Amino acid sequence: MIKLLKIEFKKIRTYKVFWILFGLYFVFLAAGILLAEFMINHMVNNVNQRMPIPFPHVAIYYFPDVWQNVAFFASMRYVLIFPAIIMIILITNEFTFKTIRQNVINGMSKTEFLVSKLLMILLMAVIMGIILTAGSFFIGLFHSGFTDVNLFSKGLPFMGGFFISLACYMVYAFFCGFMLRNTGMAIAIFTLYSLIIEPVIYFLFRAPFMFKNTIYTYLPVNAVIRLTEYPAIPMLKKMMGLELQNHVSIVACLIPMAYAAIMIGIVFWVMNRKDL
Amino acid sequence: MQVETILHVEKLSKRFGKIRAVNQLSFEVGRGQVFGILGPNGSGKTTTLSMLLDLIPPDDGTFSWFGQPPSKDSRKRIGSVIESPNFFPYLDAVTNLKIVADIKDKPYDDIDEVLQLSGLYERRFSKFRTFSFGMRQRLALASALLGKPEVMILDEPTNGLDPQGIAQIRDLISLVASRGTTILLASHLLDEVQKICSYVVVLRKGVMLFSGNVREVLAVSDSIEMASSDMPVLAAAIAEFPGFLASTAINGILQVHFDRPVVTSEINTFLYIKGIVLSHLSEKKRSLEQHFLELLQDTP
Repeated sequence: MIKLLKIEFKKIRTYKVFWILFGLYFVFLAAGILLAEFMINHMVNNVNQRMPIPFPHVAIYYFPDVWQNVAFFASMRYVLIFPAIIMIILITNEFTFKTIRQNVINGMSKTEFLVSKLLMILLMAVIMGIILTAGSFFIGLFHSGFTDVNLFSKGLPFMGGFFISLACYMVYAFFCGFMLRNTGMAIAIFTLYSLIIEPVIYFLFRAPFMFKNTIYTYLPVNAVIRLTEYPAIPMLKKMMGLELQNHVSIVACLIPMAYAAIMIGIVFWVMNRKDL
Repeated sequence: MQVETILHVEKLSKRFGKIRAVNQLSFEVGRGQVFGILGPNGSGKTTTLSMLLDLIPPDDGTFSWFGQPPSKDSRKRIGSVIESPNFFPYLDAVTNLKIVADIKDKPYDDIDEVLQLSGLYERRFSKFRTFSFGMRQRLALASALLGKPEVMILDEPTNGLDPQGIAQIRDLISLVASRGTTILLASHLLDEVQKICSYVVVLRKGVMLFSGNVREVLAVSDSIEMASSDMPVLAAAIAEFPGFLASTAINGILQVHFDRPVVTSEINTFLYIKGIVLSHLSEKKRSLEQHFLELLQDTP
């Protein structure tokens, strides 16, 4: 295991594309999170100009809401697409440069090759999870001060949910890259599906207002994104009559994990039967 | 002398759709042999090697390395260059070789040595994508040499190289072979196989045509063409020439084979003494390539 990770790390250590995309993810994420309150309050101000009784400004960076809010912004599809593209590039590179062949020729088993990539996904998800947890903690601390120790523990389920989202989404990307073998095509198809096709399906099959949309809940990308369904903004609840999520549902976690498990199964099956 | 069997191949077969890429191929490679697989393009050489390295699952047949069923551990004892050099273009030579060493469970100690052997030591920190074609091929050879493998598999190692590059690669192969490393070399160049290998199998359309000692399989016998006014007398007379093997009459010209190098003046004198005046006498050397083509055509 350690040996496989060591090999994977050598492959990316001086790979600029990897670090640029990795950095971009955090730039987008940080910008998104830090601008979110400003943007929402800007909208509130606009609305308030026409309202006799003004809406109160929102505050999203306070404990314990900060956990859920950061998890929500970090798992938006426009943000998650970055680590997914990283994963697609890492696997399709192996086909483009034929290094997957060379790895097997040199004495890596096909299973080891796949395990090393899956370990990489796990490691990236863990590292991003830790960075995000630390980030949320400091944002929360900065805004609410050190008030209550228990507030910290309340956030962990949401960070766990984010970790599952990220890991499963990267498995989807890995699956797409492995099956298509071509970097450009895999990125195009994956992005198209994630950002356009699923939202269109949602639009076509959307349920009447306030009813649970059943088909949509089970679509793979949506299942990942909806682990943290809404940001924790109390005003939203009042405005839209939404039932505010206050925990990560275990059942909701199982859906993307089931997709990921099936995809991993297919990848192993194909790897042992197809020519390299 | 009993030689330890390194590779045993039995009735190996692979189809791609309707095409039989490799058909019932069997052969054996002993330790220390320099073994050639010779055949034109598309004869199944690369497919065979790919199966031996677990890249392609065979449809039928078995093979064993070092007397054991194939596994990743047997592959770690083999250094291979298959078709093109496969490395990460954005990594330098040393990092690429370290990845190979990691996979093979070999220490990094050899890296400097193989880089020096392949003449890439000065460029060891250059990215692979900056390498010329010849350098790439030599890096592939360097990576195959890592960890002192017991066997080297080389698939068309000089393909596409300039004459200088070809000479460098062949010298390197000869050096490795002289250290006792078993070498399995696939090539479509008869000349290459003849220069480097001691044993050979000849493939055509996935079927083995010949196998055995290179000198026996690829022996080239030159012939001498001659003609005179009375052909039957000539044929009878030349049969008495020392070293005579066989003669065939084609279009009024007698083609004669000998078991030793023969000079035309020798024959002229010999026949003149017997009272035969030749109207035609010429040496006919077959090129190796021509011989190879004949070898492939001879069989149904």
